[in-house]
Amino acid sequence: MKYLEMAIDAAKSLGAEYADIRIHKTTSESIFLRNMSLKNTAQQEVFGYGVRVFKNGAWGFAHSNVFTDDAVTKTVNRAYELALQSGRLKYGDGLKLATERSYIDTYRTPFEIDPFQVPLSQKVELMMDVNKTLLNYNDIKQTLFLMECQKDEKLFASTLGTRLDLTTLLVEPMLRATAVTTKDSQSRSFREGGKAAGWEYIEQINWQEKAEKIAQEAIMKANADSLGEEEQRTLLLDPIHLSLTMHESVGHPTELDRVLGWEADFAGISFATPEKLGNFQYGSKLVNFIADNTLQGGLATAGYDDDGVPNQKWYIIKDGILKEYGTTRDTAPLLNLQMSRGCNRATSYFDFPINRIPNLYLQPGKQDLSPNDLIADTEDAVLIEGQGSFSIDQHRVNFQFGGDMFWEIKNGKKIRPLKKIIYKSNNPEFWNSVDAICDNRYFRTFGVTNCGKGQPGQRGRMTHGAALTRFRNIRVGGSQ
Amino acid sequence: MKDKMMKCGELVKRICKADDFTLQIGHSQDLHTRFAQNAITQHIDGESLRSGSWTVSGGVNLKVAFGNKTGSASVNQLDEESIISLVKKAENIAKINKPDPEYVASEGKHTLREMEKPAVATVNLSVEKIVDGIEKCIKNAERKDGKLSGISEKHVRSNYMLTKNGFEGYDESASYSHSMTIKKKGIETKVYRAVSDYDRFSMNELIERLNEQFDSLNEPEPYEKGRLPVIMRPQAVLHWLNYLVWTLQQREADDGLNPYTGQIGKHFFGDKFSLKSTISDPHISAPLFTNNGLPAEDTEWIVNGVIKKMQADRYYAKKKGIKPASLFNLVIEGGDTSEQEMMKKVKRGVILNNLWYIRPIDAKTGEWTGLTRDGVLYFEDGKIKKAVTNFRWNEVLHDATKRILALGPAYQILPHATIPTIMIDDFNFVDVTTF
Repeated sequence: MKYLEMAIDAAKSLGAEYADIRIHKTTSESIFLRNMSLKNTAQQEVFGYGVRVFKNGAWGFAHSNVFTDDAVTKTVNRAYELALQSGRLKYGDGLKLATERSYIDTYRTPFEIDPFQVPLSQKVELMMDVNKTLLNYNDIKQTLFLMECQKDEKLFASTLGTRLDLTTLLVEPMLRATAVTTKDSQSRSFREGGKAAGWEYIEQINWQEKAEKIAQEAIMKANADSLGEEEQRTLLLDPIHLSLTMHESVGHPTELDRVLGWEADFAGISFATPEKLGNFQYGSKLVNFIADNTLQGGLATAGYDDDGVPNQKWYIIKDGILKEYGTTRDTAPLLNLQMSRGCNRATSYFDFPINRIPNLYLQPGKQDLSPNDLIADTEDAVLIEGQGSFSIDQHRVNFQFGGDMFWEIKNGKKIRPLKKIIYKSNNPEFWNSVDAICDNRYFRTFGVTNCGKGQPGQRGRMTHGAALTRFRNIRVGGSQ
Repeated sequence: MKDKMMKCGELVKRICKADDFTLQIGHSQDLHTRFAQNAITQHIDGESLRSGSWTVSGGVNLKVAFGNKTGSASVNQLDEESIISLVKKAENIAKINKPDPEYVASEGKHTLREMEKPAVATVNLSVEKIVDGIEKCIKNAERKDGKLSGISEKHVRSNYMLTKNGFEGYDESASYSHSMTIKKKGIETKVYRAVSDYDRFSMNELIERLNEQFDSLNEPEPYEKGRLPVIMRPQAVLHWLNYLVWTLQQREADDGLNPYTGQIGKHFFGDKFSLKSTISDPHISAPLFTNNGLPAEDTEWIVNGVIKKMQADRYYAKKKGIKPASLFNLVIEGGDTSEQEMMKKVKRGVILNNLWYIRPIDAKTGEWTGLTRDGVLYFEDGKIKKAVTNFRWNEVLHDATKRILALGPAYQILPHATIPTIMIDDFNFVDVTTF
């Protein structure tokens, strides 16, 4: 598109030290079914461009949805003016940008069936059949089925000479059933988050089986008991649950912008400060966290980030030791790092890219260990499946999590369902209490599509993963 | 923008063949200046057609219906070609969709009150002036050897709605907000204020409040968990209520999904607690109409602890024979007790500047969790003694209103929110943090 070159030329002629333009079109389809009422069946399109200009070690960013020569020039000029204003209050002697070379490349999310080509009626019928199954249970009073498909097409050009053509695709189903019994009201969900894939992901799910399972477990949960007072217990956490725990307690604390204090006014800072790199025992020796923006199906897998840095794979935590952060071109030099890890991403054309969590997963255990083996090896514990309540302090140390389904384990067996279970912990104590992780045959992922961060707020996407993991001596109890 | 929006409305009226339609257009001109570590780190300007700050859906949204089969589409362009394509897309979806048993026809004509023009001082606020304000704040932080981070934001917004059945409304608003956190070693605290009229905003006053909070804190000492009386300042109360009011839903109550089942007209909250939305106070922002296509009107939600009304959409309101209602601004009735007087009411307690990361634990019981943030002050015998480390709390929030000991004067913290300091007895602190 001619506007790429026009914007870059205009920024160069103004004297920008660096500039880029991102033309970004987001096309999405959402279907929201509540019981048997189609609350929303919608297609959306958002199309525009954002221009970043770096001058005197400071940023300016302007955006527009008007595609004319005049509008593009005005947008570049405005970004330049804002960079000059930022330069009045610049970061020390000015920010530096990490070294990067130019790339000319294309990326497409691999898929078999384009979700936008699947007839809407087929999608709606599938959803209605599932909700009908749920509502066949007398105690199920509310069912929510949400289906989202999204395509992001980006053209990126920078003054480094980079020219990128990137298209990513995601599909995300979310199903929830709420039971109301004489004892209580409780919900159970089927939710594995978003996948960078086509409609084939939806087709491989056995929806009727999932619906029967969540309906039965919602009712079971409503009639279940809770636990009494909080006490030190063993926890078994399933991959979907752990994806949220790792997102909050490992993903966010290892974003370099948080570490540097750039998020102090809103999302907060991080206890995982630079002097801890290479020596801090974040978790037990079994704990390895891998950042991998090349992960197939990963929501942060896009070829390149919005700095024009290629996707990479690296250790955040290795053998329990904090090794590295997720970085961007403007944060990496502040730790004297030559290169960025490519974690700068914006949600829409009008958003300024910010330091985001990469795809991040807990490496499965190296010894053969199945979930059944692990349960059989556990005398007294609570098994938590799925995601529930979550809350963590602004330094990312103290946290409390709930879950979606809870089971009491006694003498190596699942003996009864539980409800309203919460656990509290201190971040490094929690990860240091890991003493067993199932092997990679049981590894599952969860794609986050609503990671709220930044001022103004943006919704980020990334994928997490794990296998069933055991934690010892965690404070676990029932809520009120 | 109004002319462009109305022209788009005319076009939709002319070409849309559906039995019913609702067109909504949102436009926003936004300037964001973000700073951290005493420097500007982001600077964003632009205008856009979008429906909300956290969403990526286009601001030109059309919902159509053929009988009770509905379809929606949105774009972020207003040119004729885009609108023609938008209408076709929404119609095509509706034609092949399944019927919606809960469909209700769009709202008809209503007489709306006269629109107040957005404040000129806000609309004309320049980037240079915003940076001047931030510079003043950073210099203040440097004098205290602290690091400042935060954001200054200016928004000028317009909103248009048109239905096949005759509703037409146009509204404009503007706002300026400034948020800042100062941090020095173990001390961190934040202040925030948003106004619709920049002439009513004083950066000096906000800096003074920041300094008062900062100077009152020293390196926090650990304090044990347990139930304690708390004095929640307006920022903390706002954070708390945002979550509480979100659950005040009639349909969920009737379905047995929230704590308010069967509680309408009953004394469910504490008798010192009253909540309303108003269009009658010229200083409190209120839209001309809500998303339902209904004129915003004075609504009492909770009066002296009695639930008078809950939120209900048009479908559910019709089914129940009640008026649809949605909360559009937040007014909590204040009192006249000063913080000094509050401290004398109990032997000991804590003052909370803010709350953080509030999430539900259980939807049915209304139990929530969260933490304290931005400084916790321990007081004893009527006097502040020291800063203490942050707490985690788990509370049934509506029950906590039954333990309100006193209310301070209401303070306008947002253009659409007036909130007092609230003193609550026996707040349930279940854990402590390390800082």
